[in-house]
Amino acid sequence: MAANAEIFFEHDRWGRNLTWSLVLHLAVAGFILLYAVIIPGSHGEGWGAGGGGDAMGVTLVSNIPLPSTPTQTQNVLANDSKGITQSLPKPEPVEEKLPDAIPIPDKISKTKPPPKTSATKAKTKPEPVEEADNEVPFGQGGPVSGPYGTFNANGAKGGFGFTGGGGDFGSRYAWYVKVVQQKVSENWLKYEVDPRIGSAQRVYVTFDVMRDGHPANVQVEQSSGVPSLDQSATRAIQRIDTFGPLPSDYAANKVSVEFWFDYKR
Amino acid sequence: MMMRFLKLLLPLILVTSAFAQDWIKTGTGLGVEKVRLAVPDFNPAGQDPKNAELLKVFNETLWNDLDNAGIFDMVSKSFYPLGQVGTPADVKFESWSSAPPSAAMLAFGNLGASGNGMTVQGWLYDVKNVTSPQVLGKQYQDAATSDAARLTAHKFADEIIFRLGGGIAGIAESKIYFVSTRSGHKEVWAMDYDGANQHTVTHLNSISLSPRVSPDGSRIAFSSMTKGGWEILMYSLDLNRLVSFPRFGGTNLSPAWSSDGTKLAFSSSRSGDSEIYVVDSSGANLKRITSFKGPDVSPAWNRKTGAQIAWVSGRTGLPQVYTMEGDGTNVQRLTDQGYAVSPAWSPNGQFLVVSWMRKYGPGAPGAQDIYIMDIASKQWVQLTHDGGRNDFPYWSPDGRHIIFQSSRAGSLQIWTMLADGTNQKQLTFAGSNTQPNWSWK
Repeated sequence: MAANAEIFFEHDRWGRNLTWSLVLHLAVAGFILLYAVIIPGSHGEGWGAGGGGDAMGVTLVSNIPLPSTPTQTQNVLANDSKGITQSLPKPEPVEEKLPDAIPIPDKISKTKPPPKTSATKAKTKPEPVEEADNEVPFGQGGPVSGPYGTFNANGAKGGFGFTGGGGDFGSRYAWYVKVVQQKVSENWLKYEVDPRIGSAQRVYVTFDVMRDGHPANVQVEQSSGVPSLDQSATRAIQRIDTFGPLPSDYAANKVSVEFWFDYKR
Repeated sequence: MMMRFLKLLLPLILVTSAFAQDWIKTGTGLGVEKVRLAVPDFNPAGQDPKNAELLKVFNETLWNDLDNAGIFDMVSKSFYPLGQVGTPADVKFESWSSAPPSAAMLAFGNLGASGNGMTVQGWLYDVKNVTSPQVLGKQYQDAATSDAARLTAHKFADEIIFRLGGGIAGIAESKIYFVSTRSGHKEVWAMDYDGANQHTVTHLNSISLSPRVSPDGSRIAFSSMTKGGWEILMYSLDLNRLVSFPRFGGTNLSPAWSSDGTKLAFSSSRSGDSEIYVVDSSGANLKRITSFKGPDVSPAWNRKTGAQIAWVSGRTGLPQVYTMEGDGTNVQRLTDQGYAVSPAWSPNGQFLVVSWMRKYGPGAPGAQDIYIMDIASKQWVQLTHDGGRNDFPYWSPDGRHIIFQSSRAGSLQIWTMLADGTNQKQLTFAGSNTQPNWSWK
């Protein structure tokens, strides 16, 4: 009884789907007809057709191997302008006592007064202006003051993370890390990504930089889910002939790099 | 949950593993900016009277080389802390890395002349990395002349650019060949990349055009008016004289070297119509690779692959730029309109640079400007704007610069610019100077 009912039910649904399918196919066919015949627009050979040349990629300039202009920085306050306030001078270093030093009662009262020079300085100094937390100190507004040679251990927020036995490459050769980052950024051609994609998950690519500086073993470590984005990221590395030889006083034969690509149109 | 736990555990496992394996983790969108580089004047080492003059040349050349490289943000000298920096002991890291210089890198050193010799010591320091700051340390010895001081500065600048520019050799030691009328005839001339040291190469008392230096820098091929008409001539820079090269008959113009130096492409009208031919660099194995109605001229090889040739064809009337494989197959048109000439392929094979009048004809206010085209995406970018007629662009070996001729200064002169169109500078001033060609390294 129940089985019969199920069979009938399925027949019913199949018939309705067929109707929908038919309607949809007709609609698609109609649309194609409309697009191709009734509106013969500018959908020919894109490049080379007269008049179509106006839609040019201004982004191209950043793709030629030149340092591109700053695109994005983690510092929300970063811009080209210097900050409006001047940095305060560093506080005088406070003499620290050894933790295991035992105070001698007689000597405590005889501690030296602070040097006279610092006292006079303090008098002539103008009243320090209270700085709001969000103010940018003078001259430190731009991305220039970003970490250069210091790194975030987790690799989060675009820092550099290291694992491994002799893993001090990043701190010793910060300039080389910077070269790698710059070179890959320059060689990533965003137009290779499917134009329908607005934004995507971060894609992680790993590769080795060999002794003579050429990249090898390029692999997608974690896919973005967008094949064309994964491929453009891989190609960005493969397009590079060399990053320049590894520092001559660096002992190992290669250094491994994990590089991520954030895509946003 | 299990995966997350494993992920947390993984770094610990890697840290404790015995492999001496380094990892760099980095990404895009981190704000790629130019490296801020401070270059205080080099110090005199010793009391030799020649020091001052040599130092002036050296410091000026070094600064200009680094400034022209296009990859540095040069820190203005007025920001520098007081005191001389001649040796590593003089470097006060804090005063260089903090504002106002806020330098990331510091190039410094000293120069000392003694007798006829000169010794230059130079260092490059990462001043934000106090524990191991040295990126580069170099010592040069040469004669105590201003030419040697200039060359040493070029060498040191190239070392810095090579390290910080990602393994692309600097161009400070490269040469530019061009055509000049200064002697009364159009002869082939040569100069340093910055316009210094201009001198003549050929003395043919004829008309010589489109010099092209071979990839190894030993020979120059150019077209010249001979008794039998326009022929390709070959000049050896090692022997300083013409070497033999076959005469093909007809009008032979615009030779172009393949990137391996074994072949030459040029245009010849020996069959009546101007077509592209390929010949071995020895002159043997002449092969015709185009057969279209209308003129085919100005071939340029793909410098990366050596497999494609871009050239100018007039088959549709006005000249347009096309590409094809080295055997003449797979012809593709790149420019859609106007008047496009002088293609040159970038060293990485990704771009063509051409001289293009987008609108051409009566009533069309055409300006001849330099454009870059991306071969793969077929996008283009205009590099020069409203400044005379700009023609004969050519790439620098590092792919960061373009040299071209322009009439914007009144007469035809040679100009250079960064490959994004910025930083345009005039290099020649006397006479009329045209058709520049940059050496391959």
